[in-house]
Amino acid sequence: MKRSYVIKRILYAVFIFFVVLTLNFFIPRLGVRDPAERYYPPQGAMSEIEYEIIKQFTREQYGFDVSTFQQYIRYLQGLAHLDLGSSLRPGSPRVTELIGQRLPWTLVLSVSTLIISLIIGLLFGTLAAWKRGRWQDTALLNASTISVALPAFFIALMLSFYLGFELELFPAYTNPNMVAEFDWSWKSIQVVLNNAALPIMSMSLGGIVGYSQSTRNSVIAVTNEDFVITARAKGLSHTTVLYKHVLRNAMLPLATSIGMSISGLIGGAIIIERVFNWQGMGTLFLEANSTNDYPLMMGIMLFLSSFAILANLVTELFYAILDPRVTVGDKR
Amino acid sequence: MSRRDVFLQVARRGGSFLSLLKKLWQHPKGRIGLILVGILVLVAVLAPVLAPYDPYDVTQRAAKGLRPNWQHPLGTTITTGQDIFSMLIYGSRVSLMIGVSTGLALAFLGALMGVMAGYIGGFADNLIMRIVDVLLVIPTLPLIIVLTNLLGRSYFVIVLVFVAFGWTGLARVIRSLVLVLKNSNYVKAAELAGASRWYIMTKHILPGTSHLIIMNTTLTCAGIMVAEAGLSFLGLGDPTAISWGKMLAEAQGGGALLFGAWWWILAPGAGIFLAVFSFMRIGIVMEEIFNPRMKASSSIYKIFKHLNNTYLDEVFRSMEDEEADESTEQPDRSNAPLPGGCHD
Repeated sequence: MKRSYVIKRILYAVFIFFVVLTLNFFIPRLGVRDPAERYYPPQGAMSEIEYEIIKQFTREQYGFDVSTFQQYIRYLQGLAHLDLGSSLRPGSPRVTELIGQRLPWTLVLSVSTLIISLIIGLLFGTLAAWKRGRWQDTALLNASTISVALPAFFIALMLSFYLGFELELFPAYTNPNMVAEFDWSWKSIQVVLNNAALPIMSMSLGGIVGYSQSTRNSVIAVTNEDFVITARAKGLSHTTVLYKHVLRNAMLPLATSIGMSISGLIGGAIIIERVFNWQGMGTLFLEANSTNDYPLMMGIMLFLSSFAILANLVTELFYAILDPRVTVGDKR
Repeated sequence: MSRRDVFLQVARRGGSFLSLLKKLWQHPKGRIGLILVGILVLVAVLAPVLAPYDPYDVTQRAAKGLRPNWQHPLGTTITTGQDIFSMLIYGSRVSLMIGVSTGLALAFLGALMGVMAGYIGGFADNLIMRIVDVLLVIPTLPLIIVLTNLLGRSYFVIVLVFVAFGWTGLARVIRSLVLVLKNSNYVKAAELAGASRWYIMTKHILPGTSHLIIMNTTLTCAGIMVAEAGLSFLGLGDPTAISWGKMLAEAQGGGALLFGAWWWILAPGAGIFLAVFSFMRIGIVMEEIFNPRMKASSSIYKIFKHLNNTYLDEVFRSMEDEEADESTEQPDRSNAPLPGGCHD
């Protein structure tokens, strides 16, 4: 791998990061009015001077005593110490702390969704490609069409209704004490798995179908390559060709997509978390949004986008290692 | 066959809009899609005539939580006794309006950006592709939530936000097609004849991409309908209108799951499904018409990216990029014939 390519990609990622950072700072701030006006509307009993003092005090408390640009500089300085500021919630908890509390719970959902959909998707996709044009392939195509037209939250509602309320197999809503009572004991892990079953199922469905489709197409594309035809011509058995030649190459784009998948899944879990009231990043974001807690919103958005940038970068570099052709010409 | 040849072959198959409709009608799957969309449009337009009850009437205390029966074909809500069938009919208006208007606006912006990036190249291309890169890493759903909260909960804002952040996919596809078209002989001939850039862009490049735009728009409409349902479900839609996503949120909030009111959940879900399914059918059939080598499975990704599953799109983006780049670097050896779209 060329060193210049690596440096170029890293510099570009840093550039994108700064653009995103700036957007993240200014977009949520568009809706923020002067906190002094917001929290202390003029009151009759207060004298003019007292009122001014309390307003000034509030502005300083929320960092609004300086111009927006200076606030931006301050934000950057804080960021250099990995400090995303403090939330507007009572007790002003640090944003990083809040994200740290909720992130593992979202990761439980997104990572298991990813693993499940990858495994099942690979199986189904290879089967469909192998039986190309037969009923297995058609069934997969129909399943994809149907699953795309059904929103994940509708599937979640139906699962919650039938498996949760009617059959009582799994809890239809997340146990509100789950997070507080978690202590790594086997019993509490069981509770988590039980509660996570329905959210994971509803999130996986789209992923399974998507990965099956992409595996299918990728396998078919590889099957038509010269080296596979050569392998066949050499008289190798079907299974050897499938495992050693086709699948290994077909999995390359899938393997490199994992990073982006996780970042997409964390951001995409918002609606599913809302359906089951799962205490993850998604519900944290919705809470922040409904209370106009802009430092928290900014923090979550920045976290998600930096994750995506990092995943993108790692994927690109990883891909360059696996496929040296990429580094030869500038891809963009 | 390189991607470039496929592109040119595809471009040749585009005809006038009417002949496209005719081809769609002749295709059995396309006919189903067209009929379904037609019904949807009729229902949305004639909603006040078709709806047996006033869907906004929340005072029917005697009619709370009725199962589907002859008076209420889809039952009533268990909280306020609204007629679900009437709500379903009115809900089609929101889905259709948002889906189609966003789809059209996205087609315009995406095509504009794609053509500018591909044809003008240089600085414009750089700028546009950098914007695309930034928009790709910003988490879309959280951003849309923030913006609808800031700019107010109206459908106009939702459309605006969808358009502002959804054009990247189409722009990419159009750009790679334009890069191919730009090197084709007829565009070079026009350049040599002294045609202005604007003239070439509107008369030669755009018609060559029209089939892609039409096809993508249909699939985008479907994707946006799902996304709109999601936003409404989160309570970010217009609070005064009835939409399918909001119906689902009300059903969950009103205890439909707890009290076993399955009709309250199934009805809006079926509405979303049918609307999205019919648009998708048309889009997939169009792809088959334009490009018989490409099978329906590939067009499904175009919708995936409008859902939360951006990661699936990511897989194919990386693959497509390489192919497109390889093909554009090839010198133009074959005599590319005029795309059919140019004669219209």
